[in-house]
Amino acid sequence: MKLGWLIATVCLVCLFGFTMWLGIWGFAPLNSRPLAMKDALGPGPGFFPFWLAAIGISLGVLLLIEVYRGPAEKPDTASLIPERAAAFRIIAIVVLLAAAAFALEPLGFRVTAFVFIALTSLALGLVSPVAITISSLLGSVGVFHVFYQWLKVPLPVGPYDYVLKPLGL
Amino acid sequence: MISKTLMGAALAVALAATSALAQDFPNKPIQLMVAFPPGGSTDIGARVVAAIAEKAIGQPIIVVNKGGAGGQVGWTELSRQKPDGYYIGFLNLPATNTAILDPERQAIFDTKSFTPIINQVLDPGVIWVRADSPYKTMQDIIDAGKKAPGTIRAATTGIMSDDHLAILMVEEAAPGATYRLVHLDGGAPMMKETLAGNIDVAFDNVGSIVKQVQSGQVRAIAVLDPQRSKFLPDVPTSKEAGYPTVVMNSTRGIAGPKNMDPKVVAKLQEVLKKAMEDPDHIKKLEDVGLAINVMVGADYQKYYDNMHATAKKYYEWAKSRPQK
Amino acid sequence: METLDHFLAGLSAAMSLQNLAFALAGCILGTLVGVLPGVGPAAGTAILIPLTFNLDPAGAIIMLSAIYYGAMYGGTITSVLLNVPGEAASVITCIDGYQMARNGRGGAALGIAAIGSFIGGTFAVLALVVVAAPLASLALKFGPPEFFALMLFGLCLVTGLAGRSLVAGILMTVVGLLIAMIGIDPVRGAPRFTFGVPDLYDGLGFIPVVMGLFGVAEIMATAEKPYREVIKTNLKNILPSREEWNASIGPIIRGTGLGFFLGLIPGVGSIIPTFMSYVMEKRLSKTPERFGSGAIEGVAGPETANNAYANAAMVPLLTLGIPSSPTIAVLMGAFIINGLTPGPFLFVEKPVLVWTIIASFFIGNVMLLILNLPLVGFWAKILEVPWQYVCVGTLLFCILGAYSINQSVFDVWIMLGFGVIGYLLRKLDFPLAPAILGLILGPQLEKSLRTSLEMSAGDFTIFLTRPITLTLLILSAVVLIVTALNLAPKQIREASDD
Repeated sequence: MKLGWLIATVCLVCLFGFTMWLGIWGFAPLNSRPLAMKDALGPGPGFFPFWLAAIGISLGVLLLIEVYRGPAEKPDTASLIPERAAAFRIIAIVVLLAAAAFALEPLGFRVTAFVFIALTSLALGLVSPVAITISSLLGSVGVFHVFYQWLKVPLPVGPYDYVLKPLGL
Repeated sequence: MISKTLMGAALAVALAATSALAQDFPNKPIQLMVAFPPGGSTDIGARVVAAIAEKAIGQPIIVVNKGGAGGQVGWTELSRQKPDGYYIGFLNLPATNTAILDPERQAIFDTKSFTPIINQVLDPGVIWVRADSPYKTMQDIIDAGKKAPGTIRAATTGIMSDDHLAILMVEEAAPGATYRLVHLDGGAPMMKETLAGNIDVAFDNVGSIVKQVQSGQVRAIAVLDPQRSKFLPDVPTSKEAGYPTVVMNSTRGIAGPKNMDPKVVAKLQEVLKKAMEDPDHIKKLEDVGLAINVMVGADYQKYYDNMHATAKKYYEWAKSRPQK
Repeated sequence: METLDHFLAGLSAAMSLQNLAFALAGCILGTLVGVLPGVGPAAGTAILIPLTFNLDPAGAIIMLSAIYYGAMYGGTITSVLLNVPGEAASVITCIDGYQMARNGRGGAALGIAAIGSFIGGTFAVLALVVVAAPLASLALKFGPPEFFALMLFGLCLVTGLAGRSLVAGILMTVVGLLIAMIGIDPVRGAPRFTFGVPDLYDGLGFIPVVMGLFGVAEIMATAEKPYREVIKTNLKNILPSREEWNASIGPIIRGTGLGFFLGLIPGVGSIIPTFMSYVMEKRLSKTPERFGSGAIEGVAGPETANNAYANAAMVPLLTLGIPSSPTIAVLMGAFIINGLTPGPFLFVEKPVLVWTIIASFFIGNVMLLILNLPLVGFWAKILEVPWQYVCVGTLLFCILGAYSINQSVFDVWIMLGFGVIGYLLRKLDFPLAPAILGLILGPQLEKSLRTSLEMSAGDFTIFLTRPITLTLLILSAVVLIVTALNLAPKQIREASDD
């Protein structure tokens, strides 16, 4: 637990530091300009972020000290790192979500959702091919019908509409 | 030779595609952006015209409020949309101009980022106070500004809005009088803060306050226009009060992102003009004190350019004015 | 009197067939969200927002608020039958509810929870009707300094009452506020932290961030440790016995009052009323030793308090525009998506709409009682759905919801990124509620601070010379000092947020 906290806090402090450096004082190569702390019209756009980041940095340092001087690592540190099978499921979720984000507009919602559901179900340990096929169909074509056709929620149609639409999907 | 033919063919296909798109415009709901929170007068006008025009155009017109930064949030959004006619929005001149003029605002749009479609309303500026305020005339306010420079809290509906320019015009017309500027997020917060006593003098537009003047909650001091407003016939103009240079108004017109298909623009102009001339539209807008002034296409473009020049002058002035 | 007219107009609007259907749909979906372990109410409400895109604002808000208090009911079922809280406010119900289920009185536990919730909820809405309008007109007199102090007070309470470390709590608030800075500066119009990326000009979407921090992160946690088997219990006798009923009536009455008053304070999260009710009932009981081994008072009190709180917590949202918990922040996000700004002005601008929403709370409470008493067996069946389906379904709705809000794949990436961050922060016990409230209140907090300073020409004493502002600032400091000295009850601080 303790190591995790230390790392997380260091990350946070770095984040605040970067915020100040990049966002408030500006860094031309990254297309950011300095924000004024005060301008002719009152407190400027840099005022609030500056004080927030300043508070953030000081609190982060305080937390670092607190954790560092706090009680030694408890035995539950082990629970911080998931066991193999669980880690696989978590990584699979992240990877598949990222793949879905990439595929969503180029392939359209129906195709993306079908593949996403099928692969995620497999990754999480479902095995029955019938159940996976049915749930993938319901989750992709069924959800598309409900949201796009009925509730008029804008979803990407994708390039295969000319195949799917005549099939009634 | 072949490539030329091919290119020609491709061009023809592309043109056919765009005009086909324009032909069946609109085939889905149109979003009409208002760069101020709900309840302000731009919002009221937008909702009335949307309700009438959507019947004629056959698709819903949804009013989307994108308030913040004196309208800049909304205009940025508008300028970034696809110019397909499904996202149009209100430009509030001169607030849109000043957002462009101020380099610190780093606006990603400029005067050419929009396709002006049609103007709806021209709303003169007005100076108003709470009903129990000691200020009764424009002269009282100017005297107060001279007596205690920089302490009278004067509210605008956003930095570099027409109200802000109007305060600068007052300060220009009466040297020595200065005010403490408080920039609020539109008409509704201004009404709230002024009624709650957090603001001494409010600068807004006639349309935002007619109801409250009639109900006696607030008192209009002066209309910043050469003629009296038909909505506030008893309120003197700035000219009558002896400050003829203090003339400011705000217009609300509909525009789209740049490079819109002229056919789509024409379709929108036709439908919107009809809607704005509809008796129901005129009545509903007049009920809330908004003066209709329909300017289509080139007329609107010309007004837009003139306003930009005026705004530029006062913008330079505002930059040199110390805040105190 | 005007209020009564508006309320009656709202009641008749809420009784329209369409709005009744929205309320019913919301109640069913909400109960489902509450029942399914691994999907909390904040994530559940957020992922269901796309359902309401095409509804009018009143319908959308009616449905989403029904989802919110439906989840509060539904969470109980999971607590009792699975010993896993369906949402954080049911943590305390696990203690005695699960024991009752093991003793074969699971039906009675669920029955008394539903009845208590109904009574608590209905009385809280009645009281809401009475206090909302006067509070809103009082809030109209608040200027920017008062609102600044009020929001700060709310954030301090959320921070002080969440998580093990106060420093970590404040840090998360600051992170939330800083994320809110991304986009166009609300006063001056300068783009901040956008690095020329056009997608960042509108800031990071609140809903995608919530879906990530709560939805995706919760699913990752469930995938790591799937939940266990359902306990088979007798669900035939859902009506409590006369004896149980007599024992419960006192806790229900006290829970109603407690929940309502705590709900009025902006920043008091949903677990606090349940916890306080439990402790109070245990102290008042003649047989405190029964608590922990299936005392019905330990279910009736907290569940009533929870629902009275859930309805009363709409008061700070509607009258002040300040949400008390991440779920209410999501509701606030739904208001904003629909072009409504919750706060005192809403009562002036759209009185009928506000009262329609409030009236729908009554209807929702009745519907939930009906849905819960006879259908409890059906909800228990839902629990038998394998966790894999719940995970896949939630993830799919997260993708759909994040994308469709602005039709932007960028928002899906935001959701995924915050999902990973949320999972890590959860593992490390960093509280997430302060970050969410900081995120949604950030723009207003900055705006009110800067407007106050414009009003005073840059003089900070404006915050010390106005009595309400000064009082609120002192209270904020008191809250922080009390938490810093570890005076708040440990159980409150250790319970997870949302």
